[in-house]
Amino acid sequence: MSVKVRFFARFRELLGTDIFAEPANDTPIALLVAGIARKNPDGYDAIFDEHGTFREFVIVMQNGKRVETADAATVMVADGDEIAIFPPVAGG
Amino acid sequence: MLSEREHERYKRQIMLFGDEGQERLKKAHIFIAGAGGLGSPISIYLAVAGVGTITFVDRDTVDQSNLNRQILHTDRDIGKKKTVSALAKLREYNPDITVNAIDTTITADNIHELVGQVDGIVDAMDNYPVRYLLNRVALEKKIPFFHGAISGFYGQATTIIPGRTPCLECLFKKSPPDEITPVIGVTAGVIGTVQATEVVKYLVGQGDLLAGRLFIWDGLLAKSEEIAIVQNPACPACGSRASSIPPMEKS
Repeated sequence: MSVKVRFFARFRELLGTDIFAEPANDTPIALLVAGIARKNPDGYDAIFDEHGTFREFVIVMQNGKRVETADAATVMVADGDEIAIFPPVAGG
Repeated sequence: MLSEREHERYKRQIMLFGDEGQERLKKAHIFIAGAGGLGSPISIYLAVAGVGTITFVDRDTVDQSNLNRQILHTDRDIGKKKTVSALAKLREYNPDITVNAIDTTITADNIHELVGQVDGIVDAMDNYPVRYLLNRVALEKKIPFFHGAISGFYGQATTIIPGRTPCLECLFKKSPPDEITPVIGVTAGVIGTVQATEVVKYLVGQGDLLAGRLFIWDGLLAKSEEIAIVQNPACPACGSRASSIPPMEKS
């Protein structure tokens, strides 16, 4: 199957965007994204904590619908999915 | 009633929303939390649009390192309180409106009194603890809350209408790490003017607000996107079991 992963803002700078992946069936979102993010340790660290789970502030979307970071390890991707990973910013 | 002078001053925008819209702006009272990067374009554009009363709060002093983005303040203001500097500029921009400047730190203890009864609360803060406080007070008083935040060339904005849209805590359950972020003034300009546009639209009743939508801006790619946001039924701020006591730490 084919899944598109889009990283935004700083995550895009570190990892690129609009990445097409071909995961096996029953691949959870977190596993897919972690696999892609590993190509840049800084990118991986920005998104995942030391336990390999999404940092809580990261916004994860599956086809425009929010997926809780805590659920991303169990929610599976499906063929044609678009996964978006977005870092909220804090400055003013 | 608008004076002859006001008719002339606002002529080009009265073409957009009529005397009625301009009267609505004149009667409005907007609270702006912060007179820094975002607060500068927000307050300037709301002042020149003729928002009748603007109250803003800031605790800081103008520093040279602020001047790449905080366009309310100039070189000669270094060392002055931002409230003093900003008040002078806004009065110059538009002497026909009322501007109140409050030099204090926003805390859980004073926020209710600071905000009072206004028509909109604008987020021009640089940290989430105070943003969460503003969100809570907006929900409690049922006042629209105009969120914005920036970092580097990136920014985000959304408009929260209590009872109608998700709130800030639905969207950001956990704040991003606190750090001194790099920033370029133009990003504050983009996001601040998006927020000011939302305030004007809300007051005159035109267009579609960023309600339930997070606008995200990537200045490096010159691309904007939006993320649909949904209410979290378990949200501690606006969900069914929400408590009215803000649990956030004082800042």
